[in-house]
Amino acid sequence: MIVQPYGDRGVLLASLNAQQRSCLLHSLTRHLPEHCQEYVVGYDSLLLIGICVDSAQVWAEHCLAKHLSAAEGAPSLPPGARSYTVPVDYNGEDLEAIADACRLTVAEVVELHCQSIYSVHMLGFSPGFPYLQGLDPRLHLDRRRSPRNRIEPGSVAIGGPHAGIYTVASPGGWHILGHTDFQLFDLATARAVRPCAREVFSLSPGDQVRFQPKGRL
Amino acid sequence: MIEILACGSGLSLQDGGRHGWRRYGVPAGGAMDARSMALANTLLGNAPEAPLLEIVQQGAKIQILQDMWLALAGGDFCSDFATGCAQPVAAGQRLIFDKKATGRYSYLALPGGVQADSWLGSVAVDVRNGMGLPIQAGSRIMSQGAQPTIVTPQAVARRIARDQQSHIPGQEIHLKLYRGPQFTSFSSVAQQQFITNEWSVSTRSDRTGYRLEGLVLEVPASIASEPVLPGSFQVPGNGQPIITMHDGPTVGGYPKIAVLADTDLDRLAQCVPGTKLTFSWQT
Repeated sequence: MIVQPYGDRGVLLASLNAQQRSCLLHSLTRHLPEHCQEYVVGYDSLLLIGICVDSAQVWAEHCLAKHLSAAEGAPSLPPGARSYTVPVDYNGEDLEAIADACRLTVAEVVELHCQSIYSVHMLGFSPGFPYLQGLDPRLHLDRRRSPRNRIEPGSVAIGGPHAGIYTVASPGGWHILGHTDFQLFDLATARAVRPCAREVFSLSPGDQVRFQPKGRL
Repeated sequence: MIEILACGSGLSLQDGGRHGWRRYGVPAGGAMDARSMALANTLLGNAPEAPLLEIVQQGAKIQILQDMWLALAGGDFCSDFATGCAQPVAAGQRLIFDKKATGRYSYLALPGGVQADSWLGSVAVDVRNGMGLPIQAGSRIMSQGAQPTIVTPQAVARRIARDQQSHIPGQEIHLKLYRGPQFTSFSSVAQQQFITNEWSVSTRSDRTGYRLEGLVLEVPASIASEPVLPGSFQVPGNGQPIITMHDGPTVGGYPKIAVLADTDLDRLAQCVPGTKLTFSWQT
């Protein structure tokens, strides 16, 4: 773990291993350290906004020490984590190109994509966009050389070691396998007087996701 | 109530932004120059972050539909209404933002703040993510009232701010930066070039990011996606830094060479394309 200031606005906890990351994230979901206004989750990092380096260091070391003294492995699911099955129409514009690039048939690509249980590693890129971990290595592909200007919300895609689902119309460089009606970002509930994160965003880090071909539910 | 006749280069509803949602991938948004937002609002007795209009120079035209008070702060773009002051306007009057002046954003506050729906606790317009009501020619903007909320017997002429917007830069600006999380991954040549070179703000700059033009820096490898805050100098493959701004993404994989001090975001936001930037390190 490297603890470094992020300008004068926060502290970046970087180079976290999986156990440290999950331990600190569990603690943050329960309550924020003193003076910390909010946090942001990175691939192997966490940003604490509003806190100073010394406090962040003390907080992180305390969390990790407490966790290690409990002498247990990192719990696989954070408190309140849920499991979801996402129905997919495997009609994506890149399906055949993916099969060619991976030297698989289209049926095998679909099979491999559905076989894994994914965990939500982080949300980012756009509101509620999940970086899903657990993609079969046979489906790892570099991002498209020229990103598309517009990808529709609900597009189920893969990029590098991750699977994901586009939540708003945006440019993007991932390969599109299919489409889903599963809503990840609900603008109507975002407009509520007191919006609740669990209602606006279907997924949180630590949640589990499976894909299933539509019609086979 | 006022009516927008023309949006000009850009006109949007903003406030202090939506905070607490970055971990869900939602940028805070909000006024690019928070200092000017607070000044316009304070002149009318509003809360500093009350919803108001952010006006990009230039070309906006606004029709006043009732006798009321307004306050303007930020860029001095309106010939009919001086910046840094609050004063009464009359029904039928027009405000035309066609004056050449330094700065990029101007803020028009209405008594009590603009009435508008919130998404995730903020009226700030985020077009890409579908939040906030976009303003078009013909849009009517309602306020909570017509009179300033601090009514004093003196509030019959106008209120003028003491601080005349000294943070709005001219053609050049010097900024003191913090070293970014990946500073040491850059070659010593790139580190040196970045801090000693003069940069200029590109025309391809908007609420998501300000691109800089100058030398081409040697760039280290991309990193695993890491949290990004407004004011971060990310250096993509082309070696030309991009400073993330309020509507920019919450995570990114480009190495960050530097980070702006929190209080300098307002100064940078007011830099128009072509503004010359020089940097030094915070000590």
